[in-house]
Amino acid sequence: MRPLEGIRIADFTVHAAGPFSTHMLAMMGAECIKIETALRPDIFRKPHTVYGRAGAATFDQVSAGKLSVRLNLKTAEGILLAKRLVAVSDVAAESFRAGVMERLGLGYDALKAVKNDIVMVSISSSGQTGPDSHFAGYAPLFGAWGGLGFMSGYPDGPPLEMRHVMDHSVGMNAAAATVAALHQRRRTGRGAHVDVAAREVASSLIGEAMMAAAAGVEPARLGNDDHRRAPHGVYATVEADRWLTVSVGSQAEWHGLLSVIGRTDLLRAPQYETGADRHANREALGRLVAAWAATQEAGAAAEALQRAGVPAHVSVTASEIAADPHMRARGAIVDVTETGGTVRAAVGRPARFSSADAPAFARGTPGLGEHEDYVYGELLGLGRAAIDDLVARQIIH
Amino acid sequence: MTTDDTNGPLHGLKVVEHARGVAAAYAGRLLAAMGAEVVMVEPPEGTPLRREPPFLDTEEEWSALFTYLAAGKDSVVADLASASGHATLTALLDAADIFIDDTPLAERDALRLGAATLAAAHPRLIHTSVLPFGATGPKAGWAGEEINLIHASGEGYLLPNGLTADLFPDRPPLKIAGHFAEMQGGVTAVFAVLSALWAGGGAGATGGGRTVDVSVQDANVAIGAFAVQRYGDGSIEHRHERKFRYGGVIECADGYVELLTLEERQWDGLVELMGRPAWASDPAMASAAARSAAGETINAHIRAFAAGERAADLVARAQRLGVPMAPYNTPDGVLADPHVAARGLFAPVDVPGVGALPIQAAPFRFGPAPLAAPHGPPELGAATSRLAATAIAAADARKVTA
Repeated sequence: MRPLEGIRIADFTVHAAGPFSTHMLAMMGAECIKIETALRPDIFRKPHTVYGRAGAATFDQVSAGKLSVRLNLKTAEGILLAKRLVAVSDVAAESFRAGVMERLGLGYDALKAVKNDIVMVSISSSGQTGPDSHFAGYAPLFGAWGGLGFMSGYPDGPPLEMRHVMDHSVGMNAAAATVAALHQRRRTGRGAHVDVAAREVASSLIGEAMMAAAAGVEPARLGNDDHRRAPHGVYATVEADRWLTVSVGSQAEWHGLLSVIGRTDLLRAPQYETGADRHANREALGRLVAAWAATQEAGAAAEALQRAGVPAHVSVTASEIAADPHMRARGAIVDVTETGGTVRAAVGRPARFSSADAPAFARGTPGLGEHEDYVYGELLGLGRAAIDDLVARQIIH
Repeated sequence: MTTDDTNGPLHGLKVVEHARGVAAAYAGRLLAAMGAEVVMVEPPEGTPLRREPPFLDTEEEWSALFTYLAAGKDSVVADLASASGHATLTALLDAADIFIDDTPLAERDALRLGAATLAAAHPRLIHTSVLPFGATGPKAGWAGEEINLIHASGEGYLLPNGLTADLFPDRPPLKIAGHFAEMQGGVTAVFAVLSALWAGGGAGATGGGRTVDVSVQDANVAIGAFAVQRYGDGSIEHRHERKFRYGGVIECADGYVELLTLEERQWDGLVELMGRPAWASDPAMASAAARSAAGETINAHIRAFAAGERAADLVARAQRLGVPMAPYNTPDGVLADPHVAARGLFAPVDVPGVGALPIQAAPFRFGPAPLAAPHGPPELGAATSRLAATAIAAADARKVTA
């Protein structure tokens, strides 16, 4: 049995961060009802230039495992049905701009009126309150607002643009906060309105830089450098565009590196004796490692360094991850069968549990409205005729 | 300021943390922010996190990273290799709901920190292992620091993208600032352990002995899910091609902004923002596909326009027109942002000998008000006499009555 079995989510989220958060909760066993409308299908049901997709997705990672119903929220009856769904749910998740749910009549107070202990989760660019709460945003903007983009990049270059890992980082935080709110409900009987602001997730990831800046330490854009470790970087290998990452902090790691690169003559070198010495002379050290790495095959080099206790890894591509024996042994990468029979790799469970190891994927991407008989019929108790009537009048649409 | 639950959503939860790395420490940090009682068990010389530069004071006593990660926690010193240290940990774990540990696998048995040993000794405890590559699988014993982990997850290979990649195409891939990947491991650990706790019936319930195995690599592959999904669709991304056709990182007179227009009305707003220039009303710019093809030309126009603008002013005008744009804030810029102030995102935390510094309690809140600011970071072993002695006395009392 998976840990969150028995939890039901009315999922109004769209785009990336929100659907990822409910995807995580669904992977843990929550029953997630994705509420969509044919009037404005989710991005995975249509071509999407940003994701480089010419047609509808045949498999969508963050929709897999969810139930799908159609519901037209532009109608009063649609709103009433949405409230009935919330009334039989534990969690209501949404990621519209702040204020949209209120305008629809589905704000926290309205949901609380139909389910007193509902955990409402709102995911937005800038939060539910404050002067910028209505601002539009996407992942690169969150990173910019929160300072993470400025702090990332080469020291002599512009700030760095964050991509979808920024969105999904927001989603992971939202998933964690959702389960925390459920614990609060269990303890106190009260629900909560969880407010997750994407730009605040970005700033939380550099909380130490915020404190340092306030204490008068000039914020440094380090690129691939570290404040303490050296050598520390990403090195070209003998293979084209295949890179090796190396991080040396302790004396043991330093000695391990020297043995692997065949430079034990430097064991007593005064300029590299302590961690502080090595950091002060990191440019020369970087050239030393780069010269060695340029003659090496990346995978073998990483394994040799690891055997010597040195943190090292190849800079891997998605294709390598999909085939990786370690990831597959952990169930972090799994094979899923698409509608039509094609087998493909997908990201599996985000963590392993000793007592809950059921497969993470109960089903693939749902068809639009695939689960309406179960949701409207079984859960809400609507008869066939009533459902057909709602479909005919484009309430369920 | 606190939420409507003045104690935080996890009030009553007891957590013991044994962390030398950022991922496990960040998990404890988020649990503490949500009201859990978190005790760091540190070796006599302190966790190595206390020695991570930069420091907040000239005496180099308070690491900025440690201060951020340890705020709201207590510190107990215990040398786990010694009998008394082990007794202290055992007593603390007897009273705890959750144990977070990032001891490398090879060192666990000697310290009696193996999963089976802990499950037998503490049946109601949820043992949360947080390791770079997890506690099982062929790479479970591998070491990994931030730069290794961001590249072990696929995102590192895709960075830098956009303007940085255009400017420096021959440089090595680049990490994200700070401890991005390790912190994802921490957030994922919180999500996982709270889920495991939910299944066990909540704080105080008996019958568990469960182990949660968190891998920082897994967490980052999860948040990078689109890369694996796109691979399954037959497309491999590369940092040199991963850029928006137009928009992206744009330089203004006094800094950079990020601009991203995905919808037609946003493009219309952008044209309005630029003062309806003639080139933008060219029929060749009428469709999204045509604009995509003319991306470089469009961006040259946008860059020329933005070069004379002030970032804050431009963002304000853009957002009024519904154009998604944000300033690339410095940390000082974030701290001075009126929206951030209105949200009460940062609250003062007292750092001994340094004074009050702004800290972000958490990246989420459970109502209109932020979570309460954590108390300052603990001196090494500040709670040893209070917590360790109490825990050992309680454990002894249990033995007597048993």
